[in-house]
Amino acid sequence: MQAPLVNLFIFASMCVAAAVLFWPRRGIVVRRRGESLERVLVEDTLKHLYHNGEQTLTQVADALRVSGERALRIVDRMQRGELIELCEEKFCLTSEGLAYALQIIRAHRLWERHLADETGHDPVEWHARAERREHSITREEADDLAARLGYPRFDPHGDPIPTSDGVLREAETLALPQLDSGDAATIVHLEDEPAVVYAQLMALGVYVGMILRIEAKTEGRLVLAADGRSIILAPVVAGNISVRRLEPFESEELESAETLASLQPGDTAEVVRISQKCRGVERRRLMDLGVVPGTSIQFERRGLTGGLTAYRVRGTVIGLREEQTTMIAIRPSKEVAS
Amino acid sequence: MSECPPSNCEGCPAHHAGNLKKLGVNMDQFDYVVALAGNPNTGKSTVFNAITGLRQHTGNWPGKTVARAEGGFALGESRYKLVDLPGTYSLLSTTVDEEVARNFILFARPDVTVVVVDANHLERNLNLVLQVLEITDRAVVCLNLVDEAKRHGRTVDHRRLARDLGVPVVPTVARSNTGIDELLNTVAGVASGEIVGKPKRNAAVRGQGRRAIEEMTELIESALPGLSNARWVAMRLLDGDRRLEEAIHSGELVELAGQSASGEVASGAVVGTDAIAMTTAARSIVESSRALRWDLGVGFQDAVTESMYARAARIADRAVSLADTPRRFDLDRVVDNLVTSRWLGFPIMLGILGVIFWLTIAGANVPSGMLATLLIGKVHPMLLAFGAQLHFPWWLSGLLIDGMYLATAWVVSVMLPPMAIFFPLFTILEDFGYLARVAFNLDGMFKRSGAHGKQALTMSMGFGCNAAGVVATRIIDSRRERLIAIITNNFALCNGRWPTQILIATIFIGGLVPAQLAGFVSASAVVGIAVLGVGLTFAVSWFLSRTMLRGEPTSFSLELPPYRPPRFWRTVYTSLIDRTIFVLWRAIMFAVPAGAAIWLAGNINIGGVSIAQHLIGAFDPFGLLLGLNGVILLAYLVAIPANEIVIPTLLMLTVMNAGIGGVGAGSGVMFELESVADTASILQAGGWTVLTGVNLMLFSLLHNPCSTTIYTIWKETRSRRWTIVASLLPLVMGFLVCFLVAQVWRLIIG
Repeated sequence: MQAPLVNLFIFASMCVAAAVLFWPRRGIVVRRRGESLERVLVEDTLKHLYHNGEQTLTQVADALRVSGERALRIVDRMQRGELIELCEEKFCLTSEGLAYALQIIRAHRLWERHLADETGHDPVEWHARAERREHSITREEADDLAARLGYPRFDPHGDPIPTSDGVLREAETLALPQLDSGDAATIVHLEDEPAVVYAQLMALGVYVGMILRIEAKTEGRLVLAADGRSIILAPVVAGNISVRRLEPFESEELESAETLASLQPGDTAEVVRISQKCRGVERRRLMDLGVVPGTSIQFERRGLTGGLTAYRVRGTVIGLREEQTTMIAIRPSKEVAS
Repeated sequence: MSECPPSNCEGCPAHHAGNLKKLGVNMDQFDYVVALAGNPNTGKSTVFNAITGLRQHTGNWPGKTVARAEGGFALGESRYKLVDLPGTYSLLSTTVDEEVARNFILFARPDVTVVVVDANHLERNLNLVLQVLEITDRAVVCLNLVDEAKRHGRTVDHRRLARDLGVPVVPTVARSNTGIDELLNTVAGVASGEIVGKPKRNAAVRGQGRRAIEEMTELIESALPGLSNARWVAMRLLDGDRRLEEAIHSGELVELAGQSASGEVASGAVVGTDAIAMTTAARSIVESSRALRWDLGVGFQDAVTESMYARAARIADRAVSLADTPRRFDLDRVVDNLVTSRWLGFPIMLGILGVIFWLTIAGANVPSGMLATLLIGKVHPMLLAFGAQLHFPWWLSGLLIDGMYLATAWVVSVMLPPMAIFFPLFTILEDFGYLARVAFNLDGMFKRSGAHGKQALTMSMGFGCNAAGVVATRIIDSRRERLIAIITNNFALCNGRWPTQILIATIFIGGLVPAQLAGFVSASAVVGIAVLGVGLTFAVSWFLSRTMLRGEPTSFSLELPPYRPPRFWRTVYTSLIDRTIFVLWRAIMFAVPAGAAIWLAGNINIGGVSIAQHLIGAFDPFGLLLGLNGVILLAYLVAIPANEIVIPTLLMLTVMNAGIGGVGAGSGVMFELESVADTASILQAGGWTVLTGVNLMLFSLLHNPCSTTIYTIWKETRSRRWTIVASLLPLVMGFLVCFLVAQVWRLIIG
């Protein structure tokens, strides 16, 4: 029997070795397997050209984070494949290249839609996950995915999803800082890069479809009123938000500034809507429970251990978590509790 | 046929029949076709059977694997064909069922569509009704299960409902044939045109999409003037409905427009070049819809669903009245105030659970003893004698009686009594409604680990039996939380492991302290292990929700039902059948082969030594590394079917391995001893130390689930991946923990 210290030492070394080799996404073995195939680099180049227009070789190499020689090889291959051509010393997409790029973008945005609607992944992860996955979705898979998701037009960031024929329409939008104090708008697009800014937007609870009004606007700050609270944004963060002004008939949406979270014990309210932030199964579940526009909802009791609050909806008592209550917009009602 | 002038085609019944034939409906002997739609679980098939009796046959929808039933009935002079559509929650065609149902109503244009609705779940069911009414006005709502609704205190005003919907509503109890005649008469009335439906179609969809819908509707109405449900078609096109786009391109929709036009206007059927013009206009409609879709904005689909739900809810509210008296609400409130109160909530909970556990342990002792005496003390020798009479060779009687029968008898006698007490008690609490309040109270703790408050209940059930705990996770509808509850259920110390824990604690831990304290100390040790299990449940839940289950969608819901006086005997009966017998049966299924394996391992000799001893020798080095030994590892291997047989198997193997004579019932035969002291001396003779005892207690908590549980996990998740994770994760943890404890122990204590 070996000494215990020896055993522990051997065990610890094995753990460290396993971590170094197999840690998700950073381990040596894992990274080697996923190392960029040529095809992946080609597709990334196509996307880069689509988003940024004509590029020089150096710019391409920088974007792909590869050496100049490697970039040259990629670009050469793409030229031979007639995906790109030289337009006055810079590279630009041919029509085949454009179609291919749109397919990749379609796959990316459809996958983001899937992540948002059908999984529980954190919003900050959607873009990175889609970046990885977009290269392995075939055209048929993309079509199936689109059918299953109900042929969505926009991804969760508000970007348009190209159709299977490659049709795409970029919407005309305003950047949030272009609005003035007192304006009302709804968010139609959130820029997902740089990741740090996007993460901050997520942390602030901002989402596509959010309805807001500008409360105050100064040099260094933008203050919004939305979902019953105030949100303060720095200019660089606000610049990543694109909005559409609210139509006159939509102004009623602003009325419901309060959410269920602010309902006091014993009070009753009327449900106005479930926020756009609530997706997929969660949303359907709430509607099945009877939380639909027009329903009367009443505060029943709080639970122990600071978790749930019970509400009476259409004759049943249901327990909701705090995150859920912040996603239900209400209008105070004058009804007497029954 | 060839003599009919082409201009009359659309109006001719034979043309319509031709369409129906394409959809697989043969109209040769019938005058009218009636479609039967409805949500699943509304008693639709009962209605179908009540109407058609035996005059029905089943098959498939053409080109699909969806089953279909068809039948007929006659009323007055007319014969009706009844087509049973697949049960669906909506017609938005995301599944094959919905597509089939929707296509039939739209393209086959049945003379009447009957929608079966469950009076107990009106809001939910009305969604389908509203969607059907968007497509056709010739509908009848069959309000089924009104007797059950009445029992629960709900009365549905069907006249009010009919007014709000704009179509006839007929209450029925299909099970007892009540209301069926009235239903058929109403159907006949609608088919013949006597009764005219005027459904009120949904007006408002909030938001950006409204303009797009209006524009689209106008386009369709001008291109296809005869179409009676233009708005619905507009909304479906804007939703990207491929089938409808196809129908437009192929001209099917144009035909429909022509048909409905000829139905309403006596003359002026669509003909020749007009038809071609309509088709061209129709094609441009599809292009426009695709362009308009970009203007719909992000929340369109949600807004549509929401407004439909809201409308269904409003209509249901007006039609349903609840008989619950205010007094009933107040009583519930009083109890809830007590049970969720800050000071009394937890004590009440711990108290009730404590009582249940105590009743189970104390109450099961005597019956277990009696069963053991009967099955093992009396029947076993009887069987051996019987075998001897039939001149069984030693190996046959050994295999069948000492192996298979004995293992089964052991499992039954140890498993049955505690379960027969625990399950009914638990189920009574559940029926009463108290358990929902427990989940309500504890959710905060579980949420921090990424789990659901209802896991408290499945965990408690797991203390009775892990397999039953896994089945109980059905109450958690969100997949992620359900998987977490299933995988961590193993850390609840189930009934079958308590004897092992108690015995080992008494011998090895109680033996360390003076006799007066021994009982208290060993009991605390067992409780400590159980509490460790609870702690691990939270830790592993947290771990799973951050790593392996990260992307699984999650949704929370918890309903607090009104308190219901439990129906005592009914509960006892159903819990015995549903839970006790169910688990017992599965355990027996696994115990029989295990018993055979144990006996064989102990009795087949290779090279002069039994297989068991070979295995023990092979496992020993690894076992010692873990602070256990080869005997324990082998015992746990063969005792996979049930934790209850670990102790008897351990004793049998120890005796065999250490060559202790004069004890036991022969090689390969499990046994137990009455006296704890005797058991202790056997184990010590086998080389067991305090470390072995402690690690055995830990390993017993942390090893893989028993085979009954593994099988149940597979049946519940239907996923090989998760079954493997659930089986191996605890085992790996067990190895790790035992290894670390053993090294540290030897380091410090030596």
